Amino acid sequence: MIRPFGERGLLVELDDAEGAQRLDTVLRRDPPRGVLGTVPGLASLLVELDPAAHPAAAEAAINAAIASGAEADVPAPRTRVIPVVYGGEHGPDLADVAALAGLTEDEVIALHASTVVRVRFLGFAPGFAYIGDLPEALRVPRLATPRTRTPAGSVAIADAMTGIYPAALPGGWRVIGRTPVDLFDARRDPPAYLAPGDEVRFVAIGVDAWDGHRGPPADW
Amino acid sequence: MLEVVDPGPLASVQDVLGRRDARRHGVPFGGAADPWSARLANRLVGNPEGAALIEVVAGDARFVLEADAIVAVTGGLVATIDGVPLPPSTGRRLAAGAQLRLGSGVGLRGYLAVSGGIDVEPVLGSRATDLRTGFGGHDGRALRAGDRLRIGAAGAANAGRWLGAWPARPIRITNGPQADPDLLRALTATTWTVAPAVDRTGVRLAGGSAPGGGEVPSQGLLPGAIQVPPDGAPILMLADCPVTGGYRVPACVIGADIGSVAQLRPGDPVELVEVRDDEARGAWLRIESSLAEVEPLGAAGDDGPGWAGAHH
Repeated sequence: MIRPFGERGLLVELDDAEGAQRLDTVLRRDPPRGVLGTVPGLASLLVELDPAAHPAAAEAAINAAIASGAEADVPAPRTRVIPVVYGGEHGPDLADVAALAGLTEDEVIALHASTVVRVRFLGFAPGFAYIGDLPEALRVPRLATPRTRTPAGSVAIADAMTGIYPAALPGGWRVIGRTPVDLFDARRDPPAYLAPGDEVRFVAIGVDAWDGHRGPPADW
Repeated sequence: MLEVVDPGPLASVQDVLGRRDARRHGVPFGGAADPWSARLANRLVGNPEGAALIEVVAGDARFVLEADAIVAVTGGLVATIDGVPLPPSTGRRLAAGAQLRLGSGVGLRGYLAVSGGIDVEPVLGSRATDLRTGFGGHDGRALRAGDRLRIGAAGAANAGRWLGAWPARPIRITNGPQADPDLLRALTATTWTVAPAVDRTGVRLAGGSAPGGGEVPSQGLLPGAIQVPPDGAPILMLADCPVTGGYRVPACVIGADIGSVAQLRPGDPVELVEVRDDEARGAWLRIESSLAEVEPLGAAGDDGPGWAGAHH
């Protein structure tokens, strides 16, 4: 389903984030006339149009891309490993998450660190990746009152998603740990370590390993 | 060099290039909140439209040049040079040492362009300041008193004058992805008021409630999108809005009227009126061709015949 986004865009609704990434791949490889850019969402792709051009041609090109996109050779996913110090001062909500989920803290950590999850899209702030889906047992609601400041590197969960705050930001997700690695640097190319489609694996580390992991990951 | 004597409540380096390709990395589009006024200001001093300039919020801001250059101020603030009013939409030579002041006028934001442009390094395709994350522009931050900004080489810059007019209100909207007749009716039937908190992310409206707001799976956003959260208080998004959002978007402000949204001040009344997509495209093309009608005033930026009286 293609819906208008004002006169300057089209929102293409798709089944899931993978569908959005596939269409995005096709449109970026060979941008149709009148298309200025794209923004992937959870189950949609926003296509920004040249406001001086009539959208019919772009819409036809998008429909053709959807038809061919089913077979698009999306590059094989990269694997990104994120070291995390779980609990304690770095994961102030771990105990609450365990209580809400009816698990022990160690079980929460084991579930979070053993599930292979994928980057669905980025948003909210530069470098913030929405990563999912978490197993049912780990799904908890957001905080009733968001924090005004969540430290950079905080690893948090809400509903089916997990994410990492790239900078100190306000936030309503429950923080279960913290990573020492950098996730966003406007001076790097690409500026974000995580990209849509990436497979993400969280690995528990001890506080004593914090300094050894600080800074940009080696495979950025 | 351009010296910031007093930045007022908030002044920052911006442009209109946009960080289009960086949006997939979660980076906002960014840039001048009122891109039309910014583009015009650059044209009035002979710059390319995408040159970096200064966005001033609410005045009172003061600047001094260390070498003569052509300057122009556009948008909702009024300017004076050593106390003498600068005619609106007019480029003018500013002598070294003369003080340029931007004070309150009919809107929230003013744009100061200098021939040659503000010379800062582009980051992710734009010289705009991302104030929230802290990169781009001048050291990734708002301007402070005492900052000295390098000016680019101007070449043979000509001052210009523009006799055009911006679109009148009400603000025009057209269908968004979650267009819904009841929601659109509520948006257009209410006389809204701009809520106290206004920033480069967006303008929140108060004074009514649009029923049928709520959450949707996170979707891409563009400046101009109107998000309606569950509380029914619409938010008109601006240049620094997040790249994705999880609230319903029943409508979008048309591109031609985004400048009008950026000029809204807290407490201003806001009326929204629905137009068709082809009217929206027509309005865009009319402003584009109007901007091309900047008249040259000569290399010295001397008074045009119509402005001699305003200068004395």
